[in-house]
Amino acid sequence: MASLGSLLLLASFVVCAYAASVSVVGARRGSRRLIESGIGAFYLVAALMTAASAIMINAFLTDDFTIKYVAHYSDAVQPLFYKITSYWGGLDGSIMFWVFLLSLFGASAVYVNRERHRELIPYVVATIGVTQMFFLYLMVVHKNPFTTFLMAAPKDGRGLNPLLQNYWMAIHPPSLYTGFVGMTIPFAFCIAALITGHLDDSWLRAVRRWTMVSWLFLTFGLTLGMIWAYEVLGWGGYWSWDPVENAGLLPWFTATAFLHSVMVQERRSMLRVWNVTLVILTFFLTIFGTFMTRSGVVQSVHAFGDDPQLARLFTMFMVLIAAGSFGLVIHRLPLLRARNELDSWMSREAAFLVNNWILLFSAFFVLFATMYPTLSEAIAGQRLTVAAPFFNKWMVPIGLILLVLTGIGPLLAWRKSTLGNLRDSFLWPAAATLVTAVAVAALKIGFWSSGLCFALCAFVTGTIAQEFWRGARVRQRATGTDVATAMIGLVGRNKRRYGGYIVHVGIVLIFLGFAGNGSKKEAIVRLKLGQEATVGAFTVRNDGVKAADDGQKQMVTAYVAVFKSGRQVDTMYPGRSMFRKHEDEEPRTDVAIRRTVAEDLYLVLPGDIDFGTQTISLQVFVNPLVNWIWLGFGVLAFGTGIALLPERAFSFALAGAAAESAATTAVVLLALLLCAAPVRAQHVEDPNGAVPPAKSDLERKLRDEMGCTCGTCAHESLNKCICGTAQQMRTRLRAELDEGKNHDQVIQAFIDLYGGQQFLSSPLNQGFNRLAWLFPYALGVTGAAGVGLVAIRWSRRHDTAETERPERADPDMDERLDDELRNLD
Amino acid sequence: MTHRYIKIGVTGVVLVLAFSGLLWSTLREGTEYFKNVDEVMADRKAWEGKSLQLHGYVVPGSIMRRRDSLEYRFKVQNSPPRASAVAPENIVEASYTGVVPDTFKDEAEVVLKGQLHPSGFETAPNGVVAKCPSKYEERKAG
Repeated sequence: MASLGSLLLLASFVVCAYAASVSVVGARRGSRRLIESGIGAFYLVAALMTAASAIMINAFLTDDFTIKYVAHYSDAVQPLFYKITSYWGGLDGSIMFWVFLLSLFGASAVYVNRERHRELIPYVVATIGVTQMFFLYLMVVHKNPFTTFLMAAPKDGRGLNPLLQNYWMAIHPPSLYTGFVGMTIPFAFCIAALITGHLDDSWLRAVRRWTMVSWLFLTFGLTLGMIWAYEVLGWGGYWSWDPVENAGLLPWFTATAFLHSVMVQERRSMLRVWNVTLVILTFFLTIFGTFMTRSGVVQSVHAFGDDPQLARLFTMFMVLIAAGSFGLVIHRLPLLRARNELDSWMSREAAFLVNNWILLFSAFFVLFATMYPTLSEAIAGQRLTVAAPFFNKWMVPIGLILLVLTGIGPLLAWRKSTLGNLRDSFLWPAAATLVTAVAVAALKIGFWSSGLCFALCAFVTGTIAQEFWRGARVRQRATGTDVATAMIGLVGRNKRRYGGYIVHVGIVLIFLGFAGNGSKKEAIVRLKLGQEATVGAFTVRNDGVKAADDGQKQMVTAYVAVFKSGRQVDTMYPGRSMFRKHEDEEPRTDVAIRRTVAEDLYLVLPGDIDFGTQTISLQVFVNPLVNWIWLGFGVLAFGTGIALLPERAFSFALAGAAAESAATTAVVLLALLLCAAPVRAQHVEDPNGAVPPAKSDLERKLRDEMGCTCGTCAHESLNKCICGTAQQMRTRLRAELDEGKNHDQVIQAFIDLYGGQQFLSSPLNQGFNRLAWLFPYALGVTGAAGVGLVAIRWSRRHDTAETERPERADPDMDERLDDELRNLD
Repeated sequence: MTHRYIKIGVTGVVLVLAFSGLLWSTLREGTEYFKNVDEVMADRKAWEGKSLQLHGYVVPGSIMRRRDSLEYRFKVQNSPPRASAVAPENIVEASYTGVVPDTFKDEAEVVLKGQLHPSGFETAPNGVVAKCPSKYEERKAG
């Protein structure tokens, strides 16, 4: 299987090379056939990569430890879910996953646009093809994920890093990669437009949605990374300006800038060079971010290892991108000249421009500060570093300015606002700001730490509310309906604009969460058994520690009683887990978080536990308003979803909607589904800590077949899991058995209870469930079918091609090309 | 036309100057020097009072902790223990109050954030970073 995988990667490389070259040749010669052939080959790459991915996932599922990558990132006891996600758990696999996603994205982008943007497609294929070739080349010559052990293969794998065995971490990389990879599509269209000189706004229309979807995934990925850091890393925060985090943030800045400035180009035909530059920069930064975190250029707690050869290859590719694309921009400058000039600084386009400058400045600042250690070592010979406070000193004011602009932008008119306009539109938002400022002052909240941010949030919310209200009123008068209907109609009429405003509401909520940091409280206390300590409004008491072992890991759990205003409100269980096979690494901290709308109580148990006297140290954080960040992201995703809705989604003529709109809706639904995923139960270690013995063999068998449904413990069998949920399930099971039910009746009762089979360790081997195991094979068959379809289409095309008149009357040339093509095949 | 370009140029120059000035002044406060123990000890006086990230190895048997508290005193040396004998002038005493990572023990490779004083190295809160090989993948030799 491994050699087949390697072969598929090699084949993808060759086919990719063919697709790229034949497309360019086809476009230059004006040969429809060659271009079609290139597109076909491009689809073929997607099929081949799908097949290769299926082989990789199959290797993980069947514990094929002869493959080094599998042995390194999986082991026999790893739960099914993490076996699949191990695919992108390491460097080699993540590159392969990248190419897989890019091939799928590229194929669908080409498929959707192949008629409407006929003239651009060959170069789009070529650009994406070259990018894929680069990553495939990396894999084929340097980082082949299918490398096998030459000597004896190990009996068992090493297992995925415990820190990554987390729900959030499992979906964080695919989301971030989707965002990164998606940015290749706008870039490819941009390059195609530059090469062909079709620099009107049509290429922008082709990529607007792609950029929005990619942006959404990028934002989602960043948010997931924050949640993961907050829940798993256990240092009490969610963003530490680590190079790996910054790598994802850089293209986010430029993509956000692009989403704004593209409106100026559509409306006023300005900023054309600027837009092209932003698209190129965004793509460049996605590659640069990958380079930064994969090559060991920048030191980070969680970067992948050092790799000079990888660094060299990446550097070459980046130089190629930068030189090639900016060379093209300079070449096309005459065509990119703006048709209008800025009329006034009191206009919406000026606000957009300022917003763009600041976003771009943020990107450069973060880039500079992240690279500062590397730069200073290269230039001055000594390594100087800057830490989070330095970033905050710059980025907090910048963030606040951006927040103000979020409010000001919509209030300004296009071209030029008059003084009367300004007075009219600023009155109410300014009043809201003032009221909040007074309230903040009355509550004695620090002005610079969070008060200012609160006031600005009120300002932005005021402007957005006013926009909605005024729009709805106008519409109400025009259509004669009630306000609510008018408001929905308003959003439906102008989805991008009002969707954008909803995104801004999300941003406001996120800033609200950030502002909470200003009154964050933090303490480290040493507590003997029964001793108490007070942090903020909370008092914590050490009720002892307990150790347990579940075969995969050793766990230490502390019992901490939590009091608020003299009353016990909760018992929390911070702990540490020491994983087998990962003894040399830092144990995983099992953070205990008590979430409320107002603030989170966040407990971390450090390792210096004195078991004899049951004395523990405890890190206590009180983090106000953190949950608003996650909520804000939900609102932001909703807003993006509305902006993405196809033009006709709100009208009732949905039946006639184009395939494209169906695709968009599907993407939106997918994104929303992903957002809904966080709803899950909590894994809390049960105080009794032990599994009561089973009464009968049947009970033991049933317990083995069932897995804990808490959602965080890796779905352990009920014979092992010691969390509260498992305890409840065992009680339930005992009750069912006491009623005298047999094996199948009990299973059926649980299915009725849960409304599905998620409680089973493995799906019932019957009916539909057999399909679950078919997943990798199905993926493989899909890949194979894709290859077959392309092949059939090609051969058919060949038949019809003979009856068609060649478009270029140059039989010699065609014959020669045919020969060449045959040789290539 | 030329008038306009002059205006743009002047604005640009002023902005760039203002930003570089700000950047320079904040960088001066925010910079930490990443140094090995021997580099610092070679010219100890010069480094006193500067923000440092001190890289070294914990001297075996030197970690002391005040009973029932989070106060630590320990020594850090330049090269890995056992590799070679270390000259006493290449050892620095350090103090720290707070939670240490589990991998902080004898012979561990550490990076300490803080300042050097005549009495020893004062580690800032949360300033002990036990440097384990990258968490995602081991560092390959060479």
